[in-house]
Order: sequence, then C-alpha cells, then structure tokens
Amino acid sequence: MLTPESHSRRDFFKLSALAGIGGISAASTAEAKPDPAQLTHLTADTIGKTRPRPAGNKPVWDLNTRPIGKVRIGVIGLNRGSAHVKSGSLLPFVEVVALCDILDDRAQAQAEIVFKNTGKRPAIYSGDENVWEKMVDRDDIDVVYVATPWEWHKPMAVRAMSLGKHAFVEVNSGVTVDECWELVDASEKYQRHCPILENCAYGEEELFVLNLARQGFFGELKHAECAYIHDQRHSGTYTFLDKQREWRRNYATFMQGNVYPTHGLGTVSQYLGVGRGDAFKYAVSVSSPEFGLSQLREKTQPNRDRAQDQKFVCGDMNTTIIKTVLGRTIMVQHDNTSPRPYTRGNMLSGTQATFCGYPNRLAIDEDNKHPILDPKEKRNSHSWTYEGDKLTKFMQANAHPLIKKAGTDAKKVGGHGGMDHLMNYRFLDCIRQGITPDLTVYDAASWSCLMDLSDRSVRDGSLPIAYPDFTRGGWQTLKPLPLVS
Amino acid sequence: MNLPENPNRRDFLKLGALASLGLGLSAVPSAEAKPDPRDLKLLDAHDISATRPRPAGNKPVWDLTTKPLEKVRVAVIGLNRGRSHVNSAANIPFAEVVAVCDIVEARAKGAAASVKKITGKEPAMYFGDENAWEKMLERDDIDVVFVATPWEWHVPMALKVMEKGKHAFIEVSPAVTVDQCWQLVDMAEKTQRHCSIIENCCYGEEELFVLNLARQGFFGDLKHAECAYIHNLGGGVLWSLGSEGDWRRDYHRFMDGNLYPTHGLGPVAQYLNIGRGDAFKFVVSVSSPEFNLTQYRDKHQPNNGQHKDEKFVCGDMNTSIIKTQLGRTIMIQHDVVSPRPYTRINALCGTEATFFGYPARLAIDADNKHPMLDPKEKRSSHAWTYEKEKLTNFMKENQHPLIKKIGELGKKVGGHGGMDFVMAYRMLDCVRQGITPDMTVYDAADWSSILEISARSVKEGSMPIQCPDFTRGGWQTIAPLGIVS
Repeated sequence: MLTPESHSRRDFFKLSALAGIGGISAASTAEAKPDPAQLTHLTADTIGKTRPRPAGNKPVWDLNTRPIGKVRIGVIGLNRGSAHVKSGSLLPFVEVVALCDILDDRAQAQAEIVFKNTGKRPAIYSGDENVWEKMVDRDDIDVVYVATPWEWHKPMAVRAMSLGKHAFVEVNSGVTVDECWELVDASEKYQRHCPILENCAYGEEELFVLNLARQGFFGELKHAECAYIHDQRHSGTYTFLDKQREWRRNYATFMQGNVYPTHGLGTVSQYLGVGRGDAFKYAVSVSSPEFGLSQLREKTQPNRDRAQDQKFVCGDMNTTIIKTVLGRTIMVQHDNTSPRPYTRGNMLSGTQATFCGYPNRLAIDEDNKHPILDPKEKRNSHSWTYEGDKLTKFMQANAHPLIKKAGTDAKKVGGHGGMDHLMNYRFLDCIRQGITPDLTVYDAASWSCLMDLSDRSVRDGSLPIAYPDFTRGGWQTLKPLPLVS
Repeated sequence: MNLPENPNRRDFLKLGALASLGLGLSAVPSAEAKPDPRDLKLLDAHDISATRPRPAGNKPVWDLTTKPLEKVRVAVIGLNRGRSHVNSAANIPFAEVVAVCDIVEARAKGAAASVKKITGKEPAMYFGDENAWEKMLERDDIDVVFVATPWEWHVPMALKVMEKGKHAFIEVSPAVTVDQCWQLVDMAEKTQRHCSIIENCCYGEEELFVLNLARQGFFGDLKHAECAYIHNLGGGVLWSLGSEGDWRRDYHRFMDGNLYPTHGLGPVAQYLNIGRGDAFKFVVSVSSPEFNLTQYRDKHQPNNGQHKDEKFVCGDMNTSIIKTQLGRTIMIQHDVVSPRPYTRINALCGTEATFFGYPARLAIDADNKHPMLDPKEKRSSHAWTYEKEKLTNFMKENQHPLIKKIGELGKKVGGHGGMDFVMAYRMLDCVRQGITPDMTVYDAADWSSILEISARSVKEGSMPIQCPDFTRGGWQTIAPLGIVS
C-alpha cells in the first residue's frame, strides 16, 4: 500500500457504488485511507488522562457471549494474516468464511490453502482499499482478524465491532493513545471482544515463565525486561527500503520512541498481572541517534521507492522504563536497525528467582522452598541454577497446561514455532465457549499505547509520562489471569 | 567501624595529643571528624545540575604533567579493599610501598608483613585510631596515596592528600554526592595533583579488548551502551561485621538510586569518550520496590538480630538511562540483593558491530570492512559472529597493548583476575613518567555523580536530571584517551 496523498479524502463514489449493492447499513460511509502522519498525538498534560466512560458503555473484561458450535472467521491482510488463515483452517471448530487483501493473488493463494485443508473455499475480497468493508458487512462472520498496516488497525477493528463482530487485532493494535481509547470505547459500546493478537504471549518459554510466576515461584516480583530487537535492515528477501516495508518504514519518519512495544511487553505484563492487580503508572523513554536506516540507504544505492527523500527521526535504540502502580519496573527496548541477533529479552526478576531469555537461564534463591523444587538440591544464587539441557528438562516438567494440551499440535502447524497456532486455538476456543479471551481490549490498549507514550517522552526530553487507565479503575479488582488450559 | 554517635564531633583531645607528640600538624590544623553519611549535602534538582565556576587561580588538570620519578612512593589507607593495591605496588619494580594505614592493627601488620615478604622492606604502619591516616599524610616521602576506606571517608581523605601535595587514587565510588565531586575537582585543580578514580574494571581484559576495538573504529558509529553492577551481596557482604557490613548497608537506608555506578559505567564511558568529545547530558532513573534485604534480615536475623530495626529504602533494582551530548544512550543498572549471577553487562552497540559481556559475544555487521576482519568471511548480523572459543581467539589476536605487555604478570599477581594489578601498574607508571593517568578527577566526578543524580531522579518521580559539566566545557576539545601501552 502506498503512503496516502491526502488524509481527508473520502471516496464517496466508491461508497455510493457499494451502497447500490445494498450492503452498507450500520456503517454508512467508506473509510478514508488513514494517513499515519495525521494521527492525533496528545501533549504530556493530556496523554495520561483517563477518559470518562461514555454513557451506556459497559466493561468487557468479563464479557460472556453465547457459546457457538462453529466459530466463523474472516481475515483482512493476508501477508501477516496468513498464519491465522492456516490456524483457522486446521481447527475443527472453526470455519474460514472470508478472506480479504488488496492484492488479489495473495487472496487467491490463501483461499487455495483453506480449500486444501477443509474442502471449502472461502469468499474472496480483493482489489481495492475499501473492499474489506464489504467483507465485514457479511452477517455470517463471528470474528474478524485485522492484520493490515498499523494505520488501518483501529478503523477496521472499530467498524468490525460496530457490525457485531469480535475484532482480533494484530500488533500494535492502536498507534496512538487516542486510537487506544477508540478501541476500548468501541469494544465497551458494542460489547464485542477486541483482543490484541500478541502471539509471543503464547510462546512455550513465555507460558513456562507465566506458569511459574502464577504459582508464586519467583516470590515477590520486582522487575522485568523485554525488547523487540530484530535487525530488519535485511529481512528475508527484501530490505527495509523495499516497497513491502514502505508503510512500516514510514513510521520512522515521524515517531521517535518505541515503535513496536508489544512483543516484549505483552508477556512480561502478564507475568506482573498488569491490568489485573497492578497497572502501568508512568514511562520514561530515551532514544539513541538514528544511523541504521540512513546508512542502509547510503550503502544500498540506487535507493528504492521513496526512501531517497525520507528523513528518519526514530533513534536506532529506544530504551524505556515503565514504573507500575505497585512500584515494579519494566525496561522495554526497541531496535530494528543494528547488527545484532534477535531478542525479546523476556526477563523476570523476583525475590526468589530470576529468569532471563535469549538464551534461557533460571537462577533460584537458596531459600526458595517452592514445592516444584527438589528440597535436597543445593543451590547457589551466584550462578544460573538451570540453563541448557537442565533447564529444558525443568521446563518440560513444568510446562504450562496449554502447552501440555496443545503444544505438540501447535508445533506441527507452525507459525513462529507454534505460538501463532496456540494463540489462535486458545482465542477461538474462548469464543466457542463464550468466555473472555485471555487478552482483552484493555491489554491491547495498555500495551500498544507505549508507542505513543514513549514518543511523547522522547520529544519532551525524557519526561516521565503518566499512563492513562484504560480499565478506569478496573485493574484494582480484576483477578490475575488464571492458568488456562 | 560503627555508625557515629555524634556527627559533628571533633576530637580535639586527640588532636592535642598528636600535636604534643610533634607529628607535624601544621597546614591542617584540626583532625577530621568522623563523617556521617547522613550529613552529606544532597542537592535539589536545580543545584545538582549547575556547573560551578572555576575558582580563581585554579587550572585544569586533564593534561597535567609532573616531574618524572624513578621510584613512585606509595601509601595505602584502608587495608581491606586496599590490600590488593598494596600487593600490586609491592610487585611493581618502580614502586615502593612506604606506608600502610588501617584502623585495625592486625590488618596493618598483615599488609606490612606481606610487603616485607615481597620486597624485603617493611613499610611504616599507622593504625589504631580513626585519625591515624592524618599522621601518615604528614610524611614527605609519599607520592601517591591510595584511598580505600568506607565511602564517607573518600573525599575528606582525598582532599587532605592533595593539600599535602600528594596524588590521590580513590576507590569507587570516589564521591557519594555531586557536591563532593566538585570538591574533588576543585582541589585537584587548585593543588595541581592527580585525583584518579581507581576503577579496576576499566583494566579488565574484556573491557580493554572492547576499548581497543572501539578506538580503531571497529564498531562504526557508536549509539548505545549498557552496563551494570549486579552482584548478589544481600546474603553476605552487606551483613559482614568488621568489613563492609559495618557501613555499606547504611546507604541502603537513606538513598534510593544507583549506589554503585562506576564498575559498569567506567568502561562504557571510556568506549564512548565521555569527557573527551562527548559528555553526559541527563539521567532518568527508576527503582523497583525494596524486598530482599528486609526479607533476608527477617528470615535469617544476621548478627544475632541486631539489625531488626533497620529500614531499607533503596529499591532492589535501579535502572537508569543516561543521554549524552552526542545523543547516545547508556542503560545502567544496580542490584546487589536479587538471586541472580554477577554481571556488569558491558555492552556496546555501534552501526558496524555489537558486543555483549556475560558471556562475551560479538556480532559483526555483514558490511563491516574493518582491516582486522577476514574479507572472505561470510557473516550474518542475525547471529553472534564470535562467541566462546572463536571469540577467545579473536580477542587474543586483537588484545589491547596493555594486556599484551603485562596481562600475564597481572594474572600471576592477581586481584580480581589481574585487573587490579594492570590498573595499578598503568596508573603508577603514568606518575613515574610524569604524564596524566588514563582516569582523571573529571572521570572520578562524572562517573561517581550518577549516584546522587540517579537518587535525585528517583525522588522526583523519574524526572530527567541534567548532569553538571565537571570539565567546564573542556570535554569539547579534550582528545580521546589514546591506546596506551
């Protein structure tokens, strides 16, 4: 997709054409193509304000819906969305009803996969930027997956909910705090689920740490670290300068903080019970200078697409520290353009144990008397108690119930090592049962909004920026996520 | 040493007794009162950032040269930590240990005996009371005094050392407060004596290797560094009476910040040329809650329960981010109580390579054309290029000249794996040659100042606190530290 020329264009011609087909009712106009450069960014004074709940809206953190035999899904955005198509087509209680992409060949290819897996061909919507609206108008869809460029997430999700569908939104779910409020308000207004599709929350290691944390293994939790450090200058067959990356690279021209916080932050938020007994209080953020993209462009002559004229303002390495209401600290980092291996950090520090990922290591305090430990084992907290094979065994012995139940199947299906499938299985199973998915719109909002908050902090010389409370006080009484299976 | 009963006590009786012995108390008319850390002058957010004018008559010491010496005569105060310096100096042919001082007689005698064993000459001993060091400073046959006492004594001792015409080599952290940092700078500039921080970690083999590469441009443009002092002392050293448990734990009762910044920060500040082309600009700091010291005390009741009423306010994990004038970022952590292995992190990120310590790993950009690399070697920046044995070999081939010269001897003499010896050798060799030591009073002040600045930021809800400029603009023109040998 190209960067928009005009942010306020409304394609009335297209709208009237669609209206003539007779499908547009609740949502009466076609969505204009959103221009990320026109997003509403708030000031340090206003960005942390908790907005009042509009009259008539109700919380959705314990929303139950009618159990259904078959969960019918539609997927918008079939680059990233292809993993969800695959999962959906392999789950017996799910039906992939419709697929949508601006590129017809992508849609056809995914439809073919569904056909191969299920014998049924989903409806295809392709070829123009507003064709997704026709898809979400159907009345035979329960869940719409939104896996498009970031600027499309909020408009698509809000419209899907307004038309009675649950919206499963890829990361980041909202780009700005303002968008995050729109997601929360739409979810509470239409009483539809709007979970963030944070696949990393369903990684085997992450679920293992969550399992231990929920059982009190770490003692009092004090500190966590996470990151999205992924050198994307060269990624597979294309570089950050290529057309496929254009919409994403664009954010580096006007945002200066952590432009991709949730892969790291989602899981550690779950460890700490953020939104469920604890809450983010404020964030301070500092960025390094920008070098990576500019130098890549200089080296990769001739320049491709419009990168020639772009000025990149997003520092290569952003480091943010979040303080929670209970006083804990979370360090979150983002770096897409440095020569270094992938890491999400995935670190949790408690009074009785410390876990670090990449590679996995677990240190256990001498005094830790947790029943899953062998009481005869001598330990020394000055070295890693378990790493390598020893840790793998310990992880297997203490795997999360979800992994025990569906981990092997998920690995077979694949998708980031199985986490995509496990997430889809769990989310869609929640919809089938009519219970609240593990990740809610409040998680989507509080995790995603760090993108805007960190940008604000960096712009203001690293001022601490207060977090809005998307649960409007609910976090104080919400129970921690149970160990689901 | 016990905590003082009366912070303002001045022991005139003792002074009179010494004076009557005719021990030369002239320039310094009164004995130093025992300093109470709670009387330290802590500054508000405004005053802490102010760069103070240089007093009339003072001159910078960053390029101070002194008369070359054949023999460097050394004295050491504080023979717990200082024992390593005694041992180093006794093993250096151009150094002579003239005098040793400790409040505890046995420690002084032990150190003196070890010097005699190595050199055949027994140094003078000063011990038995808290002001014995002042007698030692009256001697006119000492060139350098190592100060290795509890933190509250560092500055009063170093000031007097310089007043008496000696160079002061001060243990970490040389100063607890920013006000003390200024006192050190002003006294060094007034007396034209060196006042070096003895940051042994700057002379570790890995640190010197990284410094060597950084100075040769191997990392490309430098953007970010990480460092830490993470060392679990909470079940041992901090309760150890007759040693650091007498005084060090006390700082956890009235300061909440990074209490021990220099071991991690010194080396990365050298990589980034802090004070020599770049400078600290501001700091943001966030602390986790305090748990582990209190929990250990309550569970184990160390020293027969005599600490039961101590209230600890220093958060277990402090994370700070320093922004530099050139825009680079340094993430620095402090945690001395959590159950986890030792690390100083020691990370440096540039556009062409990334190094991490603990364990040591080096990633090299696919485009890095540095002459020390094999041009035929295929690299992917998505994996560590060198780690384990491969890195050990690469480190050996590209070792810092200092390590090549005296690394082996350092390992034999010992002291934190040899780094203590390499440091003492290099610093004393500079004094022998009459040149400026690698670490100056500006480094001592810059690195130490993070202690109070981080605590100030924590107190102010993680507000960014601007760093004062101890070089008073000098950093803009001072040349980077050379690759010394």
